[in-house]
Amino acid sequence: MEQAEYVLQVKDLKVSVETAAGYLTLIEDVNLELKPGRVLGLVGGSGSGKTVTSLALLQMLDRQTSVIEGSIRLHTRELNGLPEKDMRRLRGSSLALIMQNPMTAFSPVYTIGVQFVESIRTHVKLGKKEARACAIRSLADVNLPDPAALLGKYPYELSGGMLQRVMLALTLCLKPSVIIADEPTTALDVTNQLQVLRQLDRMRQEHGTAILLISHDLGVIAELADEVAVMQHGRIVETADVFELFDHPRHEYTRELLAARPLLQLSPQLGGQL
Amino acid sequence: MTGIAAEYMLEVREVTHTYAASRRWRRPAKQDNVLSGVSLHIEEGTCLGLLGSSGAGKSTLGRVILGLEPPRAGQVLIQGQDLYKLSPQARRTIRRDLQVVFQDCYSAVNPRMTAEQIIGEPLSNYESLSVQEQKRAVGELLECVGLSAEDMQKQPYQFSGGQLQRINIARAIALKPKLIVLDEAVSSLDMINGAKILRLLGELRAAFGLSYLFITHDIKAACMISDALAVMDQGKIVEYNDSKEQFLQSSHPAVRGLLDSMLAEHPRNRHRELPGLSDLSGDSAQ
Repeated sequence: MEQAEYVLQVKDLKVSVETAAGYLTLIEDVNLELKPGRVLGLVGGSGSGKTVTSLALLQMLDRQTSVIEGSIRLHTRELNGLPEKDMRRLRGSSLALIMQNPMTAFSPVYTIGVQFVESIRTHVKLGKKEARACAIRSLADVNLPDPAALLGKYPYELSGGMLQRVMLALTLCLKPSVIIADEPTTALDVTNQLQVLRQLDRMRQEHGTAILLISHDLGVIAELADEVAVMQHGRIVETADVFELFDHPRHEYTRELLAARPLLQLSPQLGGQL
Repeated sequence: MTGIAAEYMLEVREVTHTYAASRRWRRPAKQDNVLSGVSLHIEEGTCLGLLGSSGAGKSTLGRVILGLEPPRAGQVLIQGQDLYKLSPQARRTIRRDLQVVFQDCYSAVNPRMTAEQIIGEPLSNYESLSVQEQKRAVGELLECVGLSAEDMQKQPYQFSGGQLQRINIARAIALKPKLIVLDEAVSSLDMINGAKILRLLGELRAAFGLSYLFITHDIKAACMISDALAVMDQGKIVEYNDSKEQFLQSSHPAVRGLLDSMLAEHPRNRHRELPGLSDLSGDSAQ
């Protein structure tokens, strides 16, 4: 297979869903390009279509009621229209998703270890012991203390930040070429946020993983992204280098987003007029 | 922290609180203090930002202050009156001065009620208004928080998160309270909506002379709205400062941890390394 310059190339993506009143277009004219080892930030307010984009890329929208048009190329393979059976093989191993809420991403009735090993063995031909060893290695890799004991724990015994790191470790194990991180830090507190972002950074440096970082928080984008696409009302309104975007925003919506950033200011500017 | 108690809108004195871990199979009962010896005060018309990482006890303190959980020890004084020593009648009266806005706006409202019913509920509990009067009051409250009186018949699912949070705020200010506990009130909103809500809170505070306890882990948001800042760590207040300049210079590890892990405002300021990796990896389960 020839090595394409882009790991993931999305062209003219359009998603519409069937409603009682006919087809409703959710996103339109979405063009994204991910290079190996680079982070593309996708930023926008709530309801702008960020998550729909990520689900469309993974072909995880309901096939009965939604229509995906356009092209999604992973390396040289076209994903749009790929049968569910083939898609399942790709999800996790080549195209991984990290979700916002780590609490709901794990089943509460199985231990971390059972879920971890199952996921590894679904994609990679490994024995149980080998898969377990791999799990322990990658858990240690994301700085989780005592990985062997961790595998015997249930999701509710861990904090949100730890669970999100377990999720990262699992992703790490399968070495996907693209990670879609959909608000990976929104549910976490500040100290854990940075921790998770640095882990993602390491992953792309060490394994050359391309990352699509979806967030509404420009702080997260500023920390990790190389390029940024700004989304509003289901369309990408601006794509720019991260420095360019923060210094010279072109689109009005981008300027609005930048202006809404909370900045560290010493005088209270709100309600200080008392 | 000495002074005449009546001076303060809220004074918390040496509050200690424990959640009894139930004795379960093969697990010894253990008791950790969720709050140990917490003292703080809020002057009338000011806002105290209460910071801390998850599990520090911020929300528990908020619940204790609201009168939802009697603490094991210590006092909560609302304008000099001990909240947990009042007669049920007096407590009911004082409770209208204490309101709360939670993080998750969807679970804070009954999905089957209309905006009018949601905002009207505290009014019908405490005030005896006629139907028309109440309707007018709800309309005014909606306009107060930047929605229109036409939204009255809508149900929660018809609002966006930001709009619904405004409805929660409208409900909180319906009885003209004196203190509002804002427990991560803007954390689940996107940046534009979060900034709008912060601005609204600032305006309402100026208009009604409200006091806020602003619970958050976002230092920037806290700095924007607060007059004083406090940091909690493992159930204790480890930093309490009226001056933000001094606060930012604080050397306490918990404060530094929060300050150092603040996300960059611009890509040129991004973190090169993880601060204090060793203390972060040891965070325990909740």
